[in-house]
Amino acid sequence: MKNIYQPDLMEVAAVQRHTADVKSVKVRFRDADCAQQFQFRVGQFGIFSSFGYGESVFNICSSSTWSDGLEFCFRKTGRVTEALWEIEEGDTIGFRGPYGNGYPVEAWKGKNLIFLGGGIAMPPIRCAIWYALENRADYGDITIVYGARTVADLVYVNELAEWSKRERVRVIQCVDPGGETPNWTGEIGFVPTVFERAQVAAENSVALVIGPPIMIKNTMPVLDRMGLPRASVYTSLENRMKCGVGKCGRCNCGPVYVCKEGPVFTMEELAALPQDY
Amino acid sequence: MSEIISSDNLRKLAAEWIEQGVRVAAPQHAGGRVLYLPLKNSADLLLDAFIHPANSAKEFLFPKSETLYAYRVEGQDVKLVEAPGTETPQVLLGVRPCDAAAFPILDHIFNWDCADELYNRRRRNTTIVVLACSAHDANCFCTSVGLGPASERGADVLLVPLTNDTFEVRSVTEKGRSLFAGKTQTDNVAAMAAAGPEPRFAPDAVRKFSAANFEHPIWGEHALACVGCGACAHTCPTCHCFDIVDEHGERVRNWDSCQFSLFTLHASGHNPRPDQGSRQRQRILHKFSIYPDKFGEILCTGCGNCTRNCPAGLGVLPLLIAIEHEEHLPA
Ligand SMILES: Cc1cc2nc3c(=O)[nH]c(=O)nc-3n(C[C@H](O)[C@H](O)[C@H](O)COP(=O)(O)OP(=O)(O)OC[C@H]3O[C@@H](n4cnc5c(N)ncnc54)[C@H](O)[C@@H]3O)c2cc1C
Ligand code: SF4
Ligand code: SF4
Ligand code: FES
Repeated sequence: MKNIYQPDLMEVAAVQRHTADVKSVKVRFRDADCAQQFQFRVGQFGIFSSFGYGESVFNICSSSTWSDGLEFCFRKTGRVTEALWEIEEGDTIGFRGPYGNGYPVEAWKGKNLIFLGGGIAMPPIRCAIWYALENRADYGDITIVYGARTVADLVYVNELAEWSKRERVRVIQCVDPGGETPNWTGEIGFVPTVFERAQVAAENSVALVIGPPIMIKNTMPVLDRMGLPRASVYTSLENRMKCGVGKCGRCNCGPVYVCKEGPVFTMEELAALPQDY
Repeated sequence: MSEIISSDNLRKLAAEWIEQGVRVAAPQHAGGRVLYLPLKNSADLLLDAFIHPANSAKEFLFPKSETLYAYRVEGQDVKLVEAPGTETPQVLLGVRPCDAAAFPILDHIFNWDCADELYNRRRRNTTIVVLACSAHDANCFCTSVGLGPASERGADVLLVPLTNDTFEVRSVTEKGRSLFAGKTQTDNVAAMAAAGPEPRFAPDAVRKFSAANFEHPIWGEHALACVGCGACAHTCPTCHCFDIVDEHGERVRNWDSCQFSLFTLHASGHNPRPDQGSRQRQRILHKFSIYPDKFGEILCTGCGNCTRNCPAGLGVLPLLIAIEHEEHLPA
């Protein structure tokens, strides 16, 4: 029987540096059968490992419609991510997953999609954006509001530019006051304020809001004022995890094991849970 | 009709198992304490005069530190090496009913949705011989959680003291029956189980209170003395939290505890359980509300080890008693 903790080996196909402390990595399974069988849903996560340093949890930030390997994007913050920072093309990393529930992209069909992200929250949103773009006929208008502290902290800037050229896609970028450069053409302000100014219609919409707790907290009143029901607002929790398979006891938020029953929840579901995230 | 074994014959039997290469673990004296330890010499087997070993028997199924797999980094390539794993049979001899009862409870967590083969393999290869208690101390509360001094839950065989040096052998499972087959004598006396401690609280009241009072001063008040050492979890038969880390070319899982401040610390620096009160709350909630809601069983067998081993004299019992008191206060 399979050892559920043993990873599959993946070869690094490409590394892209986004900011002073954020990189994204594209990896492919070393084993052809693994590559063939692998499937996931956007919004799921994986446990990636640097051998000799340990494991870390990252969202799979590529779209499930892409068949060539998968991508993750991470911020350098500690032991494992510092080791991953050094990896190069051809290196081997470990991968376990996919884990978690993912976004209900089927239920979102026919809806307008609102994506609100702050800082390093772009990767978990990016997979959903690409998924929607590749199934364009299934979804209505797409609004993306993405902000970071400074211009230098924005990630996936090339793709933001590319998305803005697509049909029925509106991209609004913003940086915190003082974070702009002289030639900055985006908005200045915090995500919730900039989003409210953009006057997006709530009708027949769902929103995916991911970012630091303070951004989510300040975005909720805006969504409430717009009249978007909390059952239509989704987020992804970042409770600390080790096993990803409901055993290590670390990720629970009240009665819910975030690694298995999450990490994606509606704000209505979260309101019913204790403040344990 | 009952089956009987003398303590001499039980020791001989243990010696036979050891001789055959079976791994035997049993209560023994160690540095002024009683601990469950691998049994090397059957003369060291302790069959009376202790309440509960300072550790729990879980470590023989779920070790403190366990290699999940090893790896070799060769240039840009990596070779995974499966953990050796063993099918060696194991007998846990003379374990307390509150330790044995923990295994069917732990089976849920290691098997819901996906199976943890490392745990299951040991479980399959282990036979559990329980020694009923003849005495209890002020920390014992098995009778409050539906167990007792001669509970058969999780046991393959239950030994009940009959005289000073004889035990009644009650086979509970086929595995247990075959372990003692031909090793006992038949008699028509039956052993009497000792009376357990008086029940101290009602788990339902605790469940109701803890599920409804996520914010309540009682958590913080009780946690004031807690130093967050995790001794309660590490000596608990049912606590099963672990960390996964890299050590010397191996990926290893080590016991962890919700009482540690780093347990839930996010990479951003945010910690959903920022103080000891929220960590004590997690402990009670997990044991008496979350686990029962998910798996239909309380994550506690009333062994009292958390209080016995706590440097601050806490453990769950004083908090449970206080909670029940709170729950019964007029609203
Ligand atoms: C579902 C989910 C999805 C995620 N997706 C992403 C993603 O897509 N991209 C991403 O970048 N991150 C993501 N994260 C967060 C990511 O898992 C962590 O940033 C990462 O595991 C950090 O690993 P590390 O080993 O480098 O850091 P660690 O060494 O574990 O340290 C992380 C932080 O913990 C604290 N810490 C650790 N040890 C100590 C100590 N001894 N004393 C005090 N503080 C300490 C520090 O604040 C440190 O910055 C996700 C998390 C979850 C749960
Ligand atoms: S043993 Fe006592 S002091 Fe240590 S973490 Fe548990 S309750 Fe706190
Ligand atoms: S009480 Fe704490 S240490 Fe024990 S299993 Fe629950 S979360 Fe883990
Ligand atoms: S991450 Fe281990 S239980 Fe959820």
